[in-house]
Amino acid sequence: MQQEFSKEEIMAVYPKVAETIADALGSEPEDVKLDVSLIEGLQAESIDFLDLVFRLERAFKIKIPRGKIVEDARGDLPESEFEEKGIVTEKGMARLREFLTEVPAERFKTPMKAAEVPKLFTAETFCKVVLRAQKAAAASA
Amino acid sequence: MAGRYAAFTFCDRITAYQPAKRARGLFHVPAGLESFPACLVAEATGQLAAWVSMAHIAFRGRPVAALAAETRFLGEARPGDTLDLQVDIEQCDAESVAYSGAAQVNGVQVLELVDAVAPMLAQDEYDAPEDLDAFFRRLLGEGATPDRFPGVVPPPMDVLDLDHGQAARASLAVPEQAPYFADHFPRRPVFPATLLLDSGIRLAARVAETHSGWQARAVVPTRVTHVKMRDWILPGQTVELRVEQQAASAELMRFALAAVRGDRTVATARVEIAPQG
Repeated sequence: MQQEFSKEEIMAVYPKVAETIADALGSEPEDVKLDVSLIEGLQAESIDFLDLVFRLERAFKIKIPRGKIVEDARGDLPESEFEEKGIVTEKGMARLREFLTEVPAERFKTPMKAAEVPKLFTAETFCKVVLRAQKAAAASA
Repeated sequence: MAGRYAAFTFCDRITAYQPAKRARGLFHVPAGLESFPACLVAEATGQLAAWVSMAHIAFRGRPVAALAAETRFLGEARPGDTLDLQVDIEQCDAESVAYSGAAQVNGVQVLELVDAVAPMLAQDEYDAPEDLDAFFRRLLGEGATPDRFPGVVPPPMDVLDLDHGQAARASLAVPEQAPYFADHFPRRPVFPATLLLDSGIRLAARVAETHSGWQARAVVPTRVTHVKMRDWILPGQTVELRVEQQAASAELMRFALAAVRGDRTVATARVEIAPQG
């Protein structure tokens, strides 16, 4: 599968993303790794994601619409097909695997509650969020 | 409800209003109060942003204090003063509001609030949307009756230990009932974040006063940064406040502040304290 962004593109934004994650979570910078789950590895909570998104916006001078990560992950899949009664459907899981290529396959456990999707997010997920926002800004300029 | 729009509402009139963008408002601090804590000036500024953001989404959601990058305390608001509040909304939708703001007294800035972010919660769980809408229209029109605010009695704080100039722990017992719960919030009372910060600042000030180089000097908070509220504190709950000095000089002392309930950290912030004058 073709990657959305090259390793070079990811690594170009990673230092600032990692620094921003450490600031937002009050973590030690050395604890932030590209593949660390922010929730399971760094004890992030939902309020930390809100904090992180605003900090990334300021650090990179970009706009990241709220709820954009899960929305992007869903892509053109309607919400009703992405999840049923709060559980991510098979189609939804396939879509998540396709979108969150940075997340190791063994972390996509089924059944997965839709509310638990953010547990998959890693530092690299946020690098991609930044790169998408930069790309969108460049396209609209 | 007794105390509604009085016990913890800090706007008498909105004097300028650009929907979803900016607003100015006035609040007269009743002359009969003993004092008006700096944190309530921040609360007043945040509440003006809340009115603007709630109106933008037809009062379907309400913002709750969660993140504030920086609050600068630049001066005092005394009983009898009128706060001239202003807010600039950076972003506002059904999910969250991001804003900055300031408060002036007699043309002099007393507070600056930088990069505050509040998630929106379902309004009808906390308050009556139609009542808020009606009160907002009143604020935009003739205004509310001034001098409604009766003052706030801070919850009792029991200092558990104090390491001079370094650190302290205190137990803060939030009462089961208090007038401010009439406003914060009528359908689901929650201890206001600004009152929690006020207690944390007072504890930090007590530690600063015992610093060997600062003894016998009055101290004031100058800045609060990195505010993050992680969970509600409900009526009747007790939290442990912890302050720990991170840096000290002749002119400034910086503390890390945390509020802990059981094994859960419910709030964190950094507080700077300086000698007065």
